[in-house]
Amino acid sequence: MLFGVEVAMKQRFQKGDMVSVLNTHPPGHRRTPYYCRGKLGEIERVCGEYKNPEELAYGFSGEPFKWLYRVRFNQAELWDHYSGSKGDTIDIDIYEHWLEAAT
Amino acid sequence: MSEKFTSAQHSGRGYHDIGGEDFGPIDPKTTEVKPWEKLSIAIGNSMGGQGRKVINTDMGRRAREEMGEKMYNSLDYFERTTESMKITMVEKGLFTKQELENRMNKIKSCFSELKSQ
Amino acid sequence: MADEEEKHGHNHDHKGIDADAHALEHIHDHDRQFQADIEDNEPEHYELMTYAIKELLVEKGHLSVDEIRRAQEKLDSWQPSRGAKIVARAWFDPDYKQRLLKDGNEAMSDFGVDAGGAKLTVLENTEDVHNVVVCTLCSCYPRSVLGLPPDWYRSKSYRARVVIEPREVLKEFGTDIDDEVTVRVHDSLADLRYLVIPKRPKGTEGWSEDKLASIVTRDSMVGVVNPSVS
Repeated sequence: MLFGVEVAMKQRFQKGDMVSVLNTHPPGHRRTPYYCRGKLGEIERVCGEYKNPEELAYGFSGEPFKWLYRVRFNQAELWDHYSGSKGDTIDIDIYEHWLEAAT
Repeated sequence: MSEKFTSAQHSGRGYHDIGGEDFGPIDPKTTEVKPWEKLSIAIGNSMGGQGRKVINTDMGRRAREEMGEKMYNSLDYFERTTESMKITMVEKGLFTKQELENRMNKIKSCFSELKSQ
Repeated sequence: MADEEEKHGHNHDHKGIDADAHALEHIHDHDRQFQADIEDNEPEHYELMTYAIKELLVEKGHLSVDEIRRAQEKLDSWQPSRGAKIVARAWFDPDYKQRLLKDGNEAMSDFGVDAGGAKLTVLENTEDVHNVVVCTLCSCYPRSVLGLPPDWYRSKSYRARVVIEPREVLKEFGTDIDDEVTVRVHDSLADLRYLVIPKRPKGTEGWSEDKLASIVTRDSMVGVVNPSVS
């Protein structure tokens, strides 16, 4: 139980929080697609903690674990000329260190 | 192809990171997975997270993202998978490039011999 | 089959075996599916590389032929029919559907699904929402329930376009989505793998689970088509 509480405290974002994705393009293995960098989205759900792929890719342990979120973006936020319906969305799995609280 | 994309060794947008681009109509035709393609996946799985854990998915992805735009675009999915598996295994010291090349030549000559029989 | 593989492994232990005999052994033993093709098709580069990698790993003790065989059998058990059974159960049994939506791994273990470390996440298509799945960065796919991804899913066209123009892409698959329906694209590129529960078509009332499973196609579980009663 105590462990569960501690884990919950470490998590930075909750469902419904507005976040923005870091707008940076460093070298290296990254799982955050280009098209969502710098964009604004909403935490759809907290998915749990996973090893960090950016470290695993180079043979490191992948620890410390990173919180993974599903972030929901409005299509209109991502593309200038989205032709579909207003409510259309994309959900992307994004690790916590790529996210900032949106102000 | 362009200066739009880079390899994972450089800053910028990876050539694998193509969401939002236009590559034309989707060909809905499907093909059977060939036995060697399945074998390649099986080897990767048994050396990876579901098996011996010597390599992992992200190492393979990184190898694909570093192999160069030209190579990435000239190989199909299973070829890329096999090439990236080779890269990670050589990196891990499981065998050398030379050993692999020698063995490929050996197997190739046997196929040729079978053919001529 | 198992005997043959053991024999194969055994032969590798004998050093000094003649190179040609060695490779012939290889071809005969393991990849006999190619026998019919050999006369016309020299194996291509990556096919050769795969055989060579296998031989080297086995010889050096990094992997046994038995492990490879088991991995191949596991791969064979990963078929869209498995996903179809899961979807049919969800259509048939509302409680099961709730379990699936809550925790995919837990619910799919009823069908013997072992997704490794992946978090199986189930998306339900409804009157108001249509879900479609892609991996723009590589081709992540829920292999343990759908098998290996089809050609189109791996194509650059699908990966690149479905995120920016999902409705047009769906049209190319013959799927028209009403304007009032929300289209949700899921870019599956980390530790989650997505399975879509398509909308149960009208005219399937009273169907058995098996009969329901027969109309659930692979493509409908990725979200590019809707199942239909033909």
